[in-house]
Amino acid sequence: MKQSLVITCLAALAVMLIAYVVGGSSLLVSGLSKALNTGLRSSLMLAASFLVIGQIQVLLSQELLDRWLQNFKGIKGVVLSALAGSLFPGGPYIFYPFIASITEKAIPFYILISFMYGKLLYDVTRIPMEASLISPTVAAVRNLLSFPIPIIIGLLAERRFANRTFTDIFGRQVK
Amino acid sequence: MVQTTVVLGLLAGILMLINAKTTGQQWKGVQVGLKQMLQTVPLLVAAFILGGMIEVLVPAEFVEQWLSAQAGLRGILLGTLGGMILAMGPYAAFPIVGSILAAGGGLGTLVALLTSWGISALNKAPFEIGFMGARFFAYKFVFSIPFCVAAGLLAHFLEVAVL
Repeated sequence: MKQSLVITCLAALAVMLIAYVVGGSSLLVSGLSKALNTGLRSSLMLAASFLVIGQIQVLLSQELLDRWLQNFKGIKGVVLSALAGSLFPGGPYIFYPFIASITEKAIPFYILISFMYGKLLYDVTRIPMEASLISPTVAAVRNLLSFPIPIIIGLLAERRFANRTFTDIFGRQVK
Repeated sequence: MVQTTVVLGLLAGILMLINAKTTGQQWKGVQVGLKQMLQTVPLLVAAFILGGMIEVLVPAEFVEQWLSAQAGLRGILLGTLGGMILAMGPYAAFPIVGSILAAGGGLGTLVALLTSWGISALNKAPFEIGFMGARFFAYKFVFSIPFCVAAGLLAHFLEVAVL
């Protein structure tokens, strides 16, 4: 989060400087007022979004998802693991170590990859933010059109690799 | 916008009830959410400023020619590329995407951008290479591109034909 904040602050400062050079203080003020409007318009939505995110994070534990994944198989397993991925709480610092830990287990690669794409594409904790900060219509269309992707990828992996695990295909990564 | 806030508020209420019945930790959920919100506020402020500035800086002709619905496949390919290099978390990336929408970005471009940001953003590279290996990352990165373009194309046709 700190790294993201530093990069975003630096980028914001850079574009503010460009705005000032290109259009003087009037363009700078115009940009800042647009930013203020967006912030004020979305503040209540953001508060509600964070309440949803907090509840989801408490409701679903990593242990619960780990148990689910070990029981998923076949086409039904692909769909369920993609949906389980959408429920996984936390950012990349939590997600990737978790994925690495399950590569050590006897979970077929197609289940793992569906789970991974499910998390990356339809993370439920991200949907409220997507609707609040972009637009509910764009969020709805994006999620709807992305929905088949983890399932297609899982099915292709199942066809290509059958029940082979991540370690069978790519070797052991975390020693 | 009011509708979305109401829906999210209701959803939060329903999840609190489910948590109260299953885990008994509904107040911890509120605490976790509020803590995360307070931690994110500085990032959101910076991202809103970035988004606002992009909105006034990017020329309307550029948006129309490269990012709008009229841009077609060009906008979708640019959106896919944009998603890869928008190497930021959701709190920073979404206000920027919102500013592209406000400037006149087409649905196809935005969907391609968001899909690409979700599965191919380069900020995930260190994690994927570190935890799953460079070979896996390379396969996943290349294999994901057609899906981003396909999602963008479908959204573009939806926008042109229906919306």
